[in-house]
Amino acid sequence: MSHVSESFFILPPLLAEGVSPYAISLFGEKSTLSFFTNSFLLAGIVLGVLLWVSRKATSNMQLIPHGWQNGFEGVVEFLYGKVEDIIGPKVAKRAFPLLASVFMFVLVSNWFGLIPGVGTIGWGQGSGNLTLSSVHAPLFRPATADLNMTLGIALSFMIVWLILTISEVGVIGFLKHMFAPKGKFKGIMMLMMGVIFAFVGLIEVVSIAFRPMSLSLRLYGNIYAGETLLHTMMSILHGAHPVINFIGSILIPLPFYFMELLVGLLQAVVFTLLCSVYILLSTAHDEEHDDHH
Amino acid sequence: MIAAASAVSAITDQFGLQWGHLIAQIIIFAIVVFILRRYAFGPILAMLEARRKRIADGEAKLEKIARDLAAAEQNAKAIVTKADDEAGRLIKEAGESANILAEKKRQEAVNEATGIIAKAREAAQLEQEQLVTQLKREFGRMVVDATSRVTGKVLNNDDQDRINRETAAQVSL
Repeated sequence: MSHVSESFFILPPLLAEGVSPYAISLFGEKSTLSFFTNSFLLAGIVLGVLLWVSRKATSNMQLIPHGWQNGFEGVVEFLYGKVEDIIGPKVAKRAFPLLASVFMFVLVSNWFGLIPGVGTIGWGQGSGNLTLSSVHAPLFRPATADLNMTLGIALSFMIVWLILTISEVGVIGFLKHMFAPKGKFKGIMMLMMGVIFAFVGLIEVVSIAFRPMSLSLRLYGNIYAGETLLHTMMSILHGAHPVINFIGSILIPLPFYFMELLVGLLQAVVFTLLCSVYILLSTAHDEEHDDHH
Repeated sequence: MIAAASAVSAITDQFGLQWGHLIAQIIIFAIVVFILRRYAFGPILAMLEARRKRIADGEAKLEKIARDLAAAEQNAKAIVTKADDEAGRLIKEAGESANILAEKKRQEAVNEATGIIAKAREAAQLEQEQLVTQLKREFGRMVVDATSRVTGKVLNNDDQDRINRETAAQVSL
């Protein structure tokens, strides 16, 4: 551990430094395990939680559901209904596992960031028994407060999106959807529209190319901002009397915790919704075409 | 291009974007998708589909039962109507046959009564005639007896026959 030389304890509500904008490798940046960051660790815990819950819900499934199965089925059925409403029943069957995974993983990761200890347990400058004045390297960091993770999710989605789109409308259909003029034109108008739509297609390509960045930066920005906000609220009375500082560091961030719960849900919804809309936009023609038949 | 490259470089440096970290996170996300797809969504969607199918089957059966019930009710109604008609017809026929039979029996009774009356009348006539004959004979005997007592003479058979005839001729009953 690269941070063993520093004290590893729990950070009391006496924070002076802000939240680092990036995840920190727990084994050092030069180690072969440098990918094992604090956000990776929390992502692994989230993965374990999701695995545990899904196994618990589906290990003894019955036609009349009860307990965990009932709750999990309710969530999955609700999500499937929403996805089906947006992208249609045909594509929903193929896209649902990815979209639902995105939603669940992002939501659980966002909310995991609010668990006490995330961001406040780690390595830093000691200020007494079992306490740190500041944490330089937190042990846990919300997975979605790491741009590597949000970009990873967005890139994974874009790869699946491309495969889905090509399989639904074909390469020619995809290119036509991007560049071909919409409507029936003749003569000089056809030529002019061809040039205009080719230009529009280029803009569309750029827009698509930026989708992973916009998706990932939006999510990362919101969750990182939330972390920073809570961190700031906790340390707002820093310098006051220790008792006042202690009480303030508990009470002042409290309303923001509820807000962050909402933001976590909202960001998961927004991310999933945008992914669904991107799929809809690129496969809508095929669906309509099928409907006509 | 250079500006864009430097901007990208600044972003990657500022937010800690690294290929190793990115790939590791993609792998962990891929594992999440795989696990959820295999252990959560697959079984649950299959279960939801099975339940949906079961409900659809149940509804189809319910519709079939409703249709069968309606058809059975229609059939029963038709049978009841037919039975009503048949019963009405039978009652009407029975009534008619009863009337015919009653009329026949009445006629027979009338005929029988007429016969009985005729026979009774004949018997009465015969009895009356016998009584008249017997009475006339008795009168004749009494006249003969009276004549023989009055005349003091024993009447022979011819006289008796003559007196009897004359008496019978004069006695009109």
